[in-house]
Amino acid sequence: MNLNMSSGESIVAQIQGLSTSPRDISQLHAFLKQSDDLIRSDSTRFAPLLTLLDPSIHSLGFLYILDACTSGPTPKEQANEHVCTIARFVKACSTEQIRMAPEKFVSICKKLKDQVMFLAAPIRGIAPMLTAIRKLQSSTEHLTTLHPDFLLLCLSAKCYKNGLSILEDDIYEVDQPRDFLLYGYYGGMICIGLKRFRKAMELLHHVVTAPMSNMSAIAVEAYKKYILVSLIHLGQFNASVPKYASTVAQRNLKNFTQPYLELAVSYGTGKVAELEACIRQHRERFQNDNNFGLARQVVSSIYKRNIQRLTQTYLTLSLEGIANSVQLNSPREAEMHVLQMIQDGEIHATINQKDGMVRFLEDPEQYKSCAMIERIDSSIERMMTLSKKLTATDELMSCDPAYLSRVGKERAPRLDFDDYDPVPQKFSM
Amino acid sequence: MDYTALTEAMTSKSYDKVAEICNDLLLQGAAEGFAYNEDWPFAIHLLGLIYIDDINSARFVWKNVPRVVKENRPEVSAAWKIGQRLWTRDYAGVYEAIREFNGSPEAQAFVDSFSEVYTKRMFQLLLSAYSTISIQDTALFLGMNEEDATNYVLQHGWNVDPASAIFTVKKHAIITEQKLDPSKLQRLTEYVFHLEH
Repeated sequence: MNLNMSSGESIVAQIQGLSTSPRDISQLHAFLKQSDDLIRSDSTRFAPLLTLLDPSIHSLGFLYILDACTSGPTPKEQANEHVCTIARFVKACSTEQIRMAPEKFVSICKKLKDQVMFLAAPIRGIAPMLTAIRKLQSSTEHLTTLHPDFLLLCLSAKCYKNGLSILEDDIYEVDQPRDFLLYGYYGGMICIGLKRFRKAMELLHHVVTAPMSNMSAIAVEAYKKYILVSLIHLGQFNASVPKYASTVAQRNLKNFTQPYLELAVSYGTGKVAELEACIRQHRERFQNDNNFGLARQVVSSIYKRNIQRLTQTYLTLSLEGIANSVQLNSPREAEMHVLQMIQDGEIHATINQKDGMVRFLEDPEQYKSCAMIERIDSSIERMMTLSKKLTATDELMSCDPAYLSRVGKERAPRLDFDDYDPVPQKFSM
Repeated sequence: MDYTALTEAMTSKSYDKVAEICNDLLLQGAAEGFAYNEDWPFAIHLLGLIYIDDINSARFVWKNVPRVVKENRPEVSAAWKIGQRLWTRDYAGVYEAIREFNGSPEAQAFVDSFSEVYTKRMFQLLLSAYSTISIQDTALFLGMNEEDATNYVLQHGWNVDPASAIFTVKKHAIITEQKLDPSKLQRLTEYVFHLEH
């Protein structure tokens, strides 16, 4: 069915006329929902009409038309144009208006991501995607479906630091479980790239222990990286999967990650030669999984781990003694290793070149300074917020009918008739 | 591409802000279609990251430098050489790379400023890591000849034993002022309240 120009113009006129007060906008929204099929069926006619609209004032109308124009396959020549239009729209659009049609907003943002990846220029999508996330989310605690796309762009463009801003938010609300798994996995990779291993472990741990009914490939890959990062950061790996992980994870993770578990075992011996042999043996597997670089970092970390272990036995030790114990080639090499560890804050020691000795020291931190108080304070405040949220969620759940019926059924057979109370009492704190 | 913020930072020698400004400019520009092409001030970007000791990010910027720039703009490769030496912890090699650097006047001023910062950083490292250290190594770590190095450390209170050519390091007692402000009492009250309920 052909759309004549007057229909197109009348839709644009409606958008222009009804984009001011909130009541008008609701009316416009209803109108646009009705006209959606019309717009989609002849989107090429509508594309030039976008120039008549201002993305910051007519955001909702602009969004409907833009979504219609960009859905479906994009010809190569148009990719650049689409990227520019969507990026400009995201920057200019009004937050209240786009939140009325979140699925459409998500749709154009995903299109943006697809197009910049197609153009092999992921860096072009980073700034718009971050703006889009901040406009779409109801609060910083809300994980949108755009979060993992943003992280993927940062990874592809090697702009790791830019991904940190959303990784530092505490998440309490998730739109889709799969988004959360990808967010944790990509987030873990970004932290690994920035050498923030503690945060990487936290994110990867979330993926591995997330609720799931079927084994997720994302969780398997996350577990592989988790093992390696655990060795690099903690110098050890706890092979038992936490009890709060899903039953499928507990049963299946180990089957998919055998070479990594063997690596952890050989790391535990503290012998560099054994570790390197293990890596050589499984080299192809690590490379296929894109984990070979990380595996090499595991090897470097074993020298550090062995030196740190020496501090538990010795107060002072000669550089030669360190070199022999840790299998380094010379006292000078040992000295450089210790110096680097002191620089990175991984060891407390002083080197005495005159005698060729290293003296291991206690951690000088007294936990009495103002800076330390600030740190403890902020941790306590985070805990308090978390505790309040937990209480609120718990109260909500104890009123949930599904929960109540389940608990009621389970309790019934075990109690006497007199004790039978199908509705549990609400928690009183 | 509006380079005003960057030019201002360079002229006012706010070198520690350069990396962040470069990052923001790059992302904003990329969103508008300006690609990572030959016009981008790579050398300044790299030096900005080196200045704030973010060699990790400098590595990634270097990976994104187009090959044609690597081949035709020696200033960019020279800037990266400093970063590379820092990454591999070739402490003495960093000074070598600094000395070999030959670029535009503003890049040169940037490198000179970094050189001072780096020497101070290395001196702090020696202070915390060594109780005694040879004159030769001190000179290497501080990027000076042995005579200048000796004068530098003697000024900071170290002792020298000329016979064995060894310095004894003098550590400084670091006294930071500890001031507790009244809002802490308020917070403690909140914690107790929370624990009681």
